[in-house]
Amino acid sequence: MRRLLLATALSLLPALAQAFGLEQLAAQLGKPAVVRGEFVQQKFLRALEKPLTSRGEFVLAKGHGLLWLLKTPLQQDYRIDEQGIARREAGGWQAIPQRSASAQQNRLFLAVLGGDSSGLQRDFELALQGDAQNWQLTLTPRALLLKQIFNSIRIDGGALVQRIVLDETQGDRTELLLQNSVAADALSDREQHDFTD
Amino acid sequence: MTSPIERRAPWAFLAFLLMLLALGAWQWRNGAPLSTDILELVPGSSRDALQKSAEQRMQEPLNRELLVLVGYPERERAIAAAARLADAWRAGALFEKVQTGVQADLPALREQLLQGRLALLGATTRERLIDDPKAFIEQRVQQLFDPFAGFGLIANQQDWLGLAAAIAQQRPASANVQLDLGSGAFFAEADGQQWALLRARTRADAFDMNAPLEAARLVAEARAQVTADGGRLVAASGLLYAAAAQQQATREITWVGGGATVGALLLLLLAFRRVRVLLAFLPVVAALLAGCVACVALFGHINVLTLMLGSSLIGVASDYPLHYLSKSWGAATWRSWDAVRATLPGLSLSLATNLIGYLALACTPFPALTQVAVFSVAGLLAAYLCSICLLPALLNGLQLRPRRSLLSLARRLLAARAALLRRTGSWPLSLLVLAFCGIGLMRLEVHNDLRQWIGGSPQLLAEAKAVAKITGVQPTSQFFLVRGDDQTQLLERQATLAARLDRLVADGSLAGYQALPQLLATAEQQQRLRQALPALAQHWQPLIDLGIPRSALDDELRQLQALPVQDINTALAGPYGEPWRSLWLGASGNQVAALVSLRGLSDATLLAAQADGLEGVCLVDRLGELNRLFAATQVSASELKLLSCLLILGLLVFPFGLKGALRVVLLPLLAALCSLASLGWLGQPLTLFSLFGLLLVTAIGVDYAILMRERVGGSGASLLGVLLSALTTWLSFGLLALSSTPAVSNFGLAVGLGLFFASLFAPWAGHAHTDTSHAAEAGE
Repeated sequence: MRRLLLATALSLLPALAQAFGLEQLAAQLGKPAVVRGEFVQQKFLRALEKPLTSRGEFVLAKGHGLLWLLKTPLQQDYRIDEQGIARREAGGWQAIPQRSASAQQNRLFLAVLGGDSSGLQRDFELALQGDAQNWQLTLTPRALLLKQIFNSIRIDGGALVQRIVLDETQGDRTELLLQNSVAADALSDREQHDFTD
Repeated sequence: MTSPIERRAPWAFLAFLLMLLALGAWQWRNGAPLSTDILELVPGSSRDALQKSAEQRMQEPLNRELLVLVGYPERERAIAAAARLADAWRAGALFEKVQTGVQADLPALREQLLQGRLALLGATTRERLIDDPKAFIEQRVQQLFDPFAGFGLIANQQDWLGLAAAIAQQRPASANVQLDLGSGAFFAEADGQQWALLRARTRADAFDMNAPLEAARLVAEARAQVTADGGRLVAASGLLYAAAAQQQATREITWVGGGATVGALLLLLLAFRRVRVLLAFLPVVAALLAGCVACVALFGHINVLTLMLGSSLIGVASDYPLHYLSKSWGAATWRSWDAVRATLPGLSLSLATNLIGYLALACTPFPALTQVAVFSVAGLLAAYLCSICLLPALLNGLQLRPRRSLLSLARRLLAARAALLRRTGSWPLSLLVLAFCGIGLMRLEVHNDLRQWIGGSPQLLAEAKAVAKITGVQPTSQFFLVRGDDQTQLLERQATLAARLDRLVADGSLAGYQALPQLLATAEQQQRLRQALPALAQHWQPLIDLGIPRSALDDELRQLQALPVQDINTALAGPYGEPWRSLWLGASGNQVAALVSLRGLSDATLLAAQADGLEGVCLVDRLGELNRLFAATQVSASELKLLSCLLILGLLVFPFGLKGALRVVLLPLLAALCSLASLGWLGQPLTLFSLFGLLLVTAIGVDYAILMRERVGGSGASLLGVLLSALTTWLSFGLLALSSTPAVSNFGLAVGLGLFFASLFAPWAGHAHTDTSHAAEAGE
């Protein structure tokens, strides 16, 4: 699941500036200070007829991080920033203990959030198709460890990211739809509070 | 005219010398049989074979592993540089394994996690599943939606209940070291630098002296490359300490040996003014050769510490020829064989007392001193034989023209002493000496620590600290050894201990530990978990609501129940067990045993208490144990010292009578006491080594006293002989005092001080009634 967010974040950032198309895409996605929207996450597991579906809202803020607010089937808020991942508990944000490999996944994600494209380009082949209104970016893992987990990550979008598909080697597939995304200039007070708390 | 003995003895000794040379050459056929392992010089630990193998297990990585950190501001550069270095080292012959990251064998890891879902599950998750199946299922549902639940190592349909995922999560995070997901490389972040890790292991058969030096050379080379490229490199390894010790020993042996040699040669030239007299240095060469050969023959190799302490033998070995050379001042015409014949009784007595002194060293339970004693005894015997068999023949026909001014100096000194004694009487001087001793002794501090044996290079220590800080791994020398009648009992005992250690970790007095219960549940716990599984079926509904077919859940439950109970060997065999593998000692007799290793300990005394009341658990604290042993040995060393004095006294009663023998023995004891007091005045601690140094002083001091007592060639010539030999001996031990290994420098200081007092007090060994004749002699 983290990989999915990772893909979201990296596709929204100017980090991918590399070739002509990627540069343009990065500039386009990097423009808004804040992006708000709704998400639908569908996990297609080999053994299940229907996907595991969850919904919620997200707020991505340049320089702050990402709020991931899961609404159904259960309610849970997450926050990702430079400090790591936190989960909202009764008593406030609770940092999730970072353990070796999963902590590293998070680190890669944060490196991307921070605009560190070098790690990404080292670990993935990037391929961009389409135009500014309708593009498709495919990430194919290059590094040995990642290859054993993903087949590929595909990101579709226009002005903003619309769909992310993760193809896992184990046969599972996760689709993330980002709907009704709206770019904005500033965070609300509550969001500001969530990020700084 | 030469007697038959005088004709044959030189040839016999020459043959003996050639034999020694041949033996020595054969011993060195595969390179220098030198060892730097300090631990082989300390008494073996308890007779317990299991504890010994545990210690070896903990020690081995220190002797064979090398940890290198390559730091750059950018992680990619650090990882790339470490990878290049690893490739270069893999191509070399020194290392059997060079590791910069995990070998990504995920299929094997997946397989082990699935097979070990009951056995490897951590206590927290296991307890929750057994005690509160409803909460367990609810949490699993939450996890399935959690975007941050972690690694997609195992497909959900293979692990609906998430047991394998939970195990993958509970794998111990190794402090600051992380895994770069892209490259699979280990790295750590500190001070804005990105550090890539490289771990190398030398070949097991690398028992040769070159392994540490080679490792140090490779590290230096790599450091130069990385630094030139704008990066940094720090390294930590027992190998580097060994290399530094080796280099330092070589340097110091060169200085001490070279200094003592040059000094002794100069002294011979200055005093006797004949080039051929330099042959008198031959006994020293014979002594060093015999010492080395004897040590290698007895112990298979010679430790560098032995060699450093042994090189001071130069000073003692050169005494024998000096004794009869100095007789040239007393006699009108000096003839080598006559001089030897005249001094032979004195020389033999000296040898006997010296041997007693060194043999007393050999009786201590310290292999270090046993080696030094063997080296010295063999060396002294060779020097003695060389001095009386070969050297007189070589010096035959030599007309010595000793410097007369030295003799008159010696006589003036004796006269001054006599005059002083006449003016003040003996009592005020004695009181002065007693006061000096009393106050000095009160200031004396006893201090013992194994670390004195290691001349810590500040740079190596700083690097080791840097490595510990960056990686967050601070291994401690203490560990727990846990035994049980079977694996279940062993795991239970370890778990009880682990619970106590958890409290120490919680309050910060311990950074962490590693124990088998973190890996594996006992057979009984696995059984209990299996029995609790059917209860889960009553709480399937939340999972079924997600769309997971009931049949899939039931299938998984059946699979789990069919999983066999795993034992320690199985759990350790897979890739998941790798971090714990070195802890398992296996079966020994009718017991099984395993270690609990510790990290970042702040208070050592707390540890011993953790094993209290736990059967089969013991703390192994080699360093602490040794330091306590040092203190205990000081007592036995003092007893040995007194015993050696009694032996020497018994020996000397024959030539000197009881009164004379007492005088000859008590003077060196007084000298030893004075040097003890001097240590106190100088603020230097009394260590086991300084005590052994004093043991030696007694023996050498007796030597001087005998010379003064025998007075062959007159008191003046005898005093001159004493002063000359004291000077050469003092030169070699005094140079030892400059060593950067505290143990060696302590030894040198104690002997140096003792020799000074021994030669100062030597004139009192003469007959009291001849004091007046000395004065007459001086005035002639």
